[in-house]
Amino acid sequence: MSALAFTALALMLAGPVPAVLARSSWPLRAPRAAVVLWQAVAAAAVLSSFSAGLSIAAMLFVPNAAGRPLVGITGSADRLGWPLWLASVLVFGLTLLIGARLIVAVVAVAVGTRRRRAHHRTVVDLLGECRHDMNDVRVLGVSEPLAYCLPGMRSRVVLSEGTLSTLSATELAAILRHERAHLRARHDLVLEAFTAVHTAFPRFVRSGSALAAVRLLVELLADDAAVRATGPRPLARALVACASARTPAGALAAGGPTTVVRVRRLAGRPNSRALSLTAYLAAAAILVVPTVSVAVPWLTELHRLFSAP
Amino acid sequence: MARLNRLGDLERAVMDQLWDTGQPQTVRQVHEALSARRDLAYTTVMTVLQRLARKNLVVQIRDERAHQYAATRGRDELVAGLMVDALDQAADSEDRRAALMHFVEQVGADEADALRDALADLESRHRPH
Repeated sequence: MSALAFTALALMLAGPVPAVLARSSWPLRAPRAAVVLWQAVAAAAVLSSFSAGLSIAAMLFVPNAAGRPLVGITGSADRLGWPLWLASVLVFGLTLLIGARLIVAVVAVAVGTRRRRAHHRTVVDLLGECRHDMNDVRVLGVSEPLAYCLPGMRSRVVLSEGTLSTLSATELAAILRHERAHLRARHDLVLEAFTAVHTAFPRFVRSGSALAAVRLLVELLADDAAVRATGPRPLARALVACASARTPAGALAAGGPTTVVRVRRLAGRPNSRALSLTAYLAAAAILVVPTVSVAVPWLTELHRLFSAP
Repeated sequence: MARLNRLGDLERAVMDQLWDTGQPQTVRQVHEALSARRDLAYTTVMTVLQRLARKNLVVQIRDERAHQYAATRGRDELVAGLMVDALDQAADSEDRRAALMHFVEQVGADEADALRDALADLESRHRPH
């Protein structure tokens, strides 16, 4: 696959494809497949940009008949001409920069998230009560109906006195099932990956749309788990009850539309297996093309390098 | 699990003591206050205070006579901090959200009506799921 094709693929996967995917409504009826598709798009985008960069930079090295580089980097300047050579070196540098930026972001997000989480968990363990029947749940003594979870190795589900007094037993069961689904499936890791990409490339690339879309989808997955246990109504009532909590200052938050989307979805059409299957196939196709195109030439080169006399 | 709970209870008791008196306390003072209601070794209290110091919940004040411990933040301040995270009120909210997973996103006033309508619509449907 040529450098041009890789570049075109990378540009498409970084801009138009995420934009269209983020605007579409079918993911509401196939959330798991949609998450997989988003992951495939993100992985393929990163892979293609690397491949594009490396293929362009490969022009700097010319193999001779035996497969070994004919001349060094500076030597190829005579062959390519200075402008093209300079461009290739720049692209190579840019590719390395993109890789480094991504690695730094992954580490920074991982460390920062865990540090914040550990501090929050410390305070929750200190201030929250442990109820006998639920080992992993902590109850905070505030009247606002709170519900959230702290993912990780020492996970917690955190509720408040307000939650326990405002909601019925089935509504509480729906919340617990929802939060435990997040913890069991480690949705936080999926979100962490997309947060890292957004931290590394906040502009020019639709990483923000991707992160927002995956956040909603992950909630839908947990919603589905709760519905399987208690049905849609208890979950919907729990969502509405908890969505209007007030801060200590008394002001209502300026929130987003996802809550309404989730409640409406509970009354809407069920998940579609056909949409799921299509999305999985699309994910496979998006990943296979750049992966195979990268792997084959490199494997061939390696083979030639090692089998040369 | 029981042992962990007991440790948590101890930490809570020590913090309550520091918050209630509102002043820096020595290990001895805390030990005396807590011993009224439970059988505690002096070293246990010291260990708990050191743990809390490592978690930045108390700070050690080096006095010429004896080390004193003080809470770094009041109970209300800690609760408020938790609420900020829990209700996602922080300024850099996109950054903060990564630490917890909220059950639901808080709605603004304009969304509240749409939300009530959506719930009413669901309740009125008779289809079994």
